[in-house]
Formats: sequence, C-alpha cells, structure tokens
Amino acid sequence: MIVSNPRMRAASQALTYLVLIGFAVFCLLPVIWMLDTALKPTDEIRSIDPHLLIAHPTLAHFKEVLFNTHFGLYFRNSVFVAVGTTVIALVVATFSGYALSRFPGFALVRGVGNMLIVSQMVPGVLLLVPLYILIRRLGLLDTFPALMLAYTTFMVPLCALMLRGFFDGIPRELEEAAELDGCSRLSMLVRVILPLSLPGLLATGLFAFVNAWNEFMFAYVLTNSDQHRTLTPGIMLFKGLYTTDWGGLMAASVLAVLPVAVVFTWLQRFLVQGLTAGAVKG
Amino acid sequence: MPPAAAQRAGGLRRDRGAVAALPRAPRRLGRIDRTRLEALAFVLPAACLILLLVAYPLLHVVWDSVHNVDLVDPAATGFSGFDNFATVLTADDFVPALWHTASWTVLSVAGEYALGLISAVALAQPIIGRAVFRGIIVVPWVIPIVVAGLTWSWMLAPDFGVTNAWLVQLGVIRHARFWLGDTGTALLAITVVNIWRSFPFYTISLLAALQSIPEELHEAAALDGAGAWARFRAVTWPHIRPVSAALVMIHVIWTAINFDFIWVMTEGGPLHASETLPILIYRYALQTYDVGAASALATMLIGFLVAALSVFWFAVLRPRRAAMEAAA
Repeated sequence: MIVSNPRMRAASQALTYLVLIGFAVFCLLPVIWMLDTALKPTDEIRSIDPHLLIAHPTLAHFKEVLFNTHFGLYFRNSVFVAVGTTVIALVVATFSGYALSRFPGFALVRGVGNMLIVSQMVPGVLLLVPLYILIRRLGLLDTFPALMLAYTTFMVPLCALMLRGFFDGIPRELEEAAELDGCSRLSMLVRVILPLSLPGLLATGLFAFVNAWNEFMFAYVLTNSDQHRTLTPGIMLFKGLYTTDWGGLMAASVLAVLPVAVVFTWLQRFLVQGLTAGAVKG
Repeated sequence: MPPAAAQRAGGLRRDRGAVAALPRAPRRLGRIDRTRLEALAFVLPAACLILLLVAYPLLHVVWDSVHNVDLVDPAATGFSGFDNFATVLTADDFVPALWHTASWTVLSVAGEYALGLISAVALAQPIIGRAVFRGIIVVPWVIPIVVAGLTWSWMLAPDFGVTNAWLVQLGVIRHARFWLGDTGTALLAITVVNIWRSFPFYTISLLAALQSIPEELHEAAALDGAGAWARFRAVTWPHIRPVSAALVMIHVIWTAINFDFIWVMTEGGPLHASETLPILIYRYALQTYDVGAASALATMLIGFLVAALSVFWFAVLRPRRAAMEAAA
C-alpha cells in the first residue's frame, strides 16, 4: 500500500496485522478446540466453565477410538479409496489435459473439453438417484470401485483443466525435438512432459486426494457395510452412536484430519500455485 | 497469456511449420491422421466416464421426472406427465425449503465473499509473516465437511459448548442457547459454519488477482491524489471484478445444491427448519423412495442451473470476451 506519511503507514500496518490475527483466530479456534477436547478427560469436557488449558491431559479418547471401534477399518478404507481415486484421476486427467493443451484444433478434443467444463458444473446431488440406481444395476453397491468411479468422474474435469494450464506452460519445441529423435507420443508424454510438470501433477494429485478423503455424500449413500465404509460416513455413524461422548468424537475427528493436514502443509505451495495457474482463473 | 507472448508463440510455430512442411509435404496427411487418432485415444477415458456417470444420469433424471418410478415398488411404471412436479410443488415443505435454500445461499455467499475479500486485501499487503497467515487461513478449507460440522456442533452444544460459555461471559447472550436445535437459529448457525469452511477459497483466488495488479497503477493513482477508497474503486475493483463474478457464480451453485453441511449438522431439522431443496431430494429418493418426485425436483434445479449459467454466460463472460477482442 502506498502511504507517504510514516505514521499512517504504521497505522495501516497495525490494522493489517489486527485483521490477519483476527482471521487466524477465527480459522484456527475450532481446530484447536477439537484437539483440546480430544486430549481432555471427560470431567473437564463436561464443565460449564470450559478452559483451553488442560489440567490432566489424556490419550484415553484416542485409545478408545483406535482400539474399541471400527475407526481403524474406516481409516484404511479411506486411504485405499482416496489413493486409488487420486491415481486413476491423475492418469485420466493427464491424457485428456495433454490433448486439450496440444490439440485444441481438433473438433472432437474441443467437444470433450466443453463437456468437461459443463460437467464440472453438474452437482453430484442432482445425479444421486440415477447414480445410485446405475451403481446398483452394475452390482457395485457397497464396493470400493463404486466410490472410486464416482469420485474419479467428478474429479477429472477440474484435474484435466488444471493440468492443461500446466502443460500450456511447457514449450512445444521440446516435443518437436523429441519427435525428431523418433520419440512416440506416449513416451514423449512420459519422458518429457510429465517430469517437467511435476509441480502441476503434485498440485492436481493433492487436490484429488483431499477431495476424495473429504467426500461425504456418495460414501454415505453408496456404502452400507463396515467392510467398505470410509471415514466420513463412519464419523457420521459415530455421531449417532456416541452422541454425548465428545472426547471420543473429537479424537476421531483429529485422526481423520491428520493425513490431510500432513499432506497439505507439505504440499501447500503447490496447491495454491495449481489453483491460480489452472482452473479457477477468472 | 498476454497478447504479445501469444503472438510470439504463434509466430514461432508458424515459422517452424513453414520450414517443416515443405520437404515433408507428401507424408503430412498421414501424420495428421495419426495425431488425430492419438488425440482421440487420449480424451477417450475422460469422455467415457463423463458420458456414463454424468450425461446418462442427467438424461435419466429428466426421463424419471415424467414417469412413475419407485425404488421399492416395481409396479410403479409408466408415463406420468407432470404428476411428479405437482407432487413436489404442492407438498407442504416445498415453499419453506425453497425459501431456506435462497436465504442459506445468499447469506453464505455474501459472508464468504466479504471475508474472502477482506482477508485477501490484508494478505496482499507487504508484511512479515504473510505466508504463515496465508497457510492458517487456508486451514478450514482442508477440514472435511463432516469433521467441520461435528466440531462446530460440539462448540455450539447447548450444555457444555464453548460458544455459549464465552458468549455468556462476554455478555452477548444471557442464557446458553440450543443453536442447532432451535427452529429460529439452526439454519443461521449452519450458515456461519459454511462461511467458516468455504471463505478461504475466495481468499486464495482473490489474492492471486490482487497480486497480478501492477504496482505502478496504485502509485500513479496515489500520485494523482486518490485516497484509499478511490484507489480501490478505480484500480483494484476492475481487476478483481471478473474473478469475483466467477467466484460468486460458482459458489451460488455449489451452495444452493450443498447437501453435506446441513445433513451432517441437523439432517434438515429441527421440524424441517433447515431443510433445503437438496435435502428434500434425498428424502424423496432414499427415505420415501419416490424417485419420480426426487427426479422432478432435481430437474427443476437443473433448469435453474442452466438458467443461471446462461445468464452468467451472456451477461458476464461474453461481453468480457467481446471487450477483450475489441481491445485487441
């Protein structure tokens, strides 16, 4: 900001910090409270005068959740579905993103591109009923492939558009050189394009993973056995089973957030870069 | 891509094409055909997925909306005209649900945009620790909706919830309230939680737009004696207007059709006080198994969606593209 008067500048900086600290508290408080509750013994949770400081921290709620519930199973299912979705979505989106970037002149490619943009706008909940019927007819109800299929479909449009943004940034001359050297289109993609767009792949993959990990509706509707239930509907189930055991519920929440938090802090800059480079450019 | 760069890239390509085309003219056709096949193969998986799991279900919804379909009663078949629409429109909970959807959407998007803009402007200032604040502000967006809903349900709990305790201590309210169990506050409470979870997306997008504004513009405006508000209106706003339009448009749709938040926190209750149209669709389909009615409602929402998107396309995107072409 351009403020010539030094006192004004100090004031505006102070205001900026004030605003940002306010936002930081607003954003972090629920997360901190979640962790706080998970570590509190039950008598401190059930207090009319709650404090952030914990007199007697305990891991009892975590032990309870991990060893006396199906949490571990749900967690494993979530890992499986989210990783599977990420891999499949990345492969599909890489191919279509590459075609969108390099052959926008072909009517067919353009048509698929428009289809991706439109389907990005189609909300899953409106398709819930026919998707449920379709999945049932395919005999995939309450299976992992059902979830991965649904997630991949709703993830591919944005992933492909994000990746196209990254591929656009890679000079075509590299491919022309590779082609002169007798490189096929596929090995060109694998050997030249992909290594160069690693940050883009990471950002897109992270995006797909976080979305698959957090998805609730399809998981809630398309699975109904513990064998295939993922974390999000699992936690919803806990909510019904242990209504007042907030310590246990918050411990489960902390554990559910953990993987996303780890992946995210590690790859955050790629995600921000990916969002701004690719899909949501105004 | 800025026009100059595009021109340069285009020019380069054309030069190369001209050089390459001459000696290899006879083989060119075959090569293009092969490339076309490759391009086709590359987009095929995505196209199949979309056709099978988006396009087909979409047609299915419209088809079902004018037929008798029941998940548990196979005897319900045949064309039904507009019966399903009549069922939906005359049901007692339709008008309240419509109203809830509208207020939930408008309040959410307005709140999200306000918070997003304020935080983005603050983050665009050259201060120390910016990256840390940016990282913190993105946190809510990564929290799964189920977990966010659950955590806030606990914080808003009537007996030992921290929100009540603090609000009473601050003197804002006299007694603890059952925010999610009171027909007057349930939807509003979920709206606040939705704003908390969704505004970081605005922050990131708006911040990117703010940072693309050349510093010289601000300086020139300041030299001309423009105050902070005048600079915002003359310099900042024109730069963030397109992103803002896109953000608001996308989020109006995402919010209006959001199922997760409300279902996780109240399941539409108490006494249907937080029931929106997507919740109603779910109820029709998977609680009363009246797929026809659910499809009729979904079809109406699809109609609304198409209308909203066309308005956006004709009112915002096309004029902008035309203006850009005129400028170039």
